[in-house]
Amino acid sequence: MKYTYDDEADARTTALIRVMALFFVGIMIIAATTSPIATGTKEGERAPALEGKYYNGSGWFDFNLESYWDPLWEEGDITGQWVALEFMDTDCPYCIQSAEDMSANANDFGNQDSGWDGAMVNFLASVAELNIDGHDSSRSEITAFRNKIADSGEDCASIDCGARPGSAHNFPYIDDLDLDNMKKWKVSGTPSYYLIQPDGIIAWSSAENQGESLRDAILTLVPRESAS
Amino acid sequence: MDSNLQLMLYLIPTIVGMLLVLPLGRSIVTPFSERYTSLATERGRVFFGLIVTCIAGAAVSFQTLWISSKVSEGGNFCSSNTVFSCDDVIGNAEYNVDPILGLPWGGIGAATFCILLYLVYSSSKEPNADWVTLHLKLGALATFTGFFVIALLVYYEIQMEKICQYCTTAHIANVAAFIGFFRLVRMNDSNAWNES
Repeated sequence: MKYTYDDEADARTTALIRVMALFFVGIMIIAATTSPIATGTKEGERAPALEGKYYNGSGWFDFNLESYWDPLWEEGDITGQWVALEFMDTDCPYCIQSAEDMSANANDFGNQDSGWDGAMVNFLASVAELNIDGHDSSRSEITAFRNKIADSGEDCASIDCGARPGSAHNFPYIDDLDLDNMKKWKVSGTPSYYLIQPDGIIAWSSAENQGESLRDAILTLVPRESAS
Repeated sequence: MDSNLQLMLYLIPTIVGMLLVLPLGRSIVTPFSERYTSLATERGRVFFGLIVTCIAGAAVSFQTLWISSKVSEGGNFCSSNTVFSCDDVIGNAEYNVDPILGLPWGGIGAATFCILLYLVYSSSKEPNADWVTLHLKLGALATFTGFFVIALLVYYEIQMEKICQYCTTAHIANVAAFIGFFRLVRMNDSNAWNES
């Protein structure tokens, strides 16, 4: 007669095998049915939230970066709207110099009448107040910088904010004077630029592409009608 | 399937499990105890309720892990403009991972409930083995620690002003599991353990 009872059997091993099987089946189902994308500020990651009040020329309103995303967007789709995000400080000399480039970029790529045949790029600026002597800022300074208001009494890096290079900007400026967004995005210095796809995935960041300008990135990455 | 309807697949077994581990569970199982003899004893009933609770807890935790993966892809599962919007809670990158290792809460919950399931299932198979006391105490300790995690997650929900129904189901499962393990530990220390 065959002896089937196992004296060495232990309920712990049987239970462990069964529960582990259950666990791995669960993990395998998740792995097979999803392809998660990490949230972060590196290229290929999903852009984190960007919160605060923004100024659009008429007042300060609640800002929600997520409202820009289109989860159904597919690569190459020219109708999707991209986002070019600048982290800046109104008292940072290099940010003041680059304001002219931002004016030109916003006019060329964020304006349907510019002759640009690519996907629309929405420009945003998140304004920080860096913890450096002489970098005291305020909402009125942000307004003076954005609108290029001459003789407003607001100084940007010791010069009149209205005397900065470039034209007045017409894109939203987000108040990040408390540095919350800058910390969340792990931005180490200003100006820093991000180009974000319409589905919220970061396509390019200045930190990962030293020496390459935002303009070059837009021309390289944003789909164009003439290229299709 | 509607996400709230799907939630019932987890919530109902969790509540059934909770009722079974409570003293009032006796009256619920009385009609079945002749057919399923293990339910006739207090110990068997609590073991069964605890196993059901742990399976439901593991399943709902796997579901939250799946939701967080789907939301990260840009999809929706249970988003809503009301206060009950699990997408907003599980999809919030600031809060959906533990602050130390960065592991998703759903994954932590699934692993924890599987460990609890192992502890209770092995104990139910050999209730008089010398390691059963240790398993039950570990289960009670793990579920008690879970209260602190629940407090943190509820704090996050208050911050977000949103409630995640799926997470709440997992929290209820932890409470039920604690009651079950606690009662088994006490029973194991007394003569009631081997009462027929």
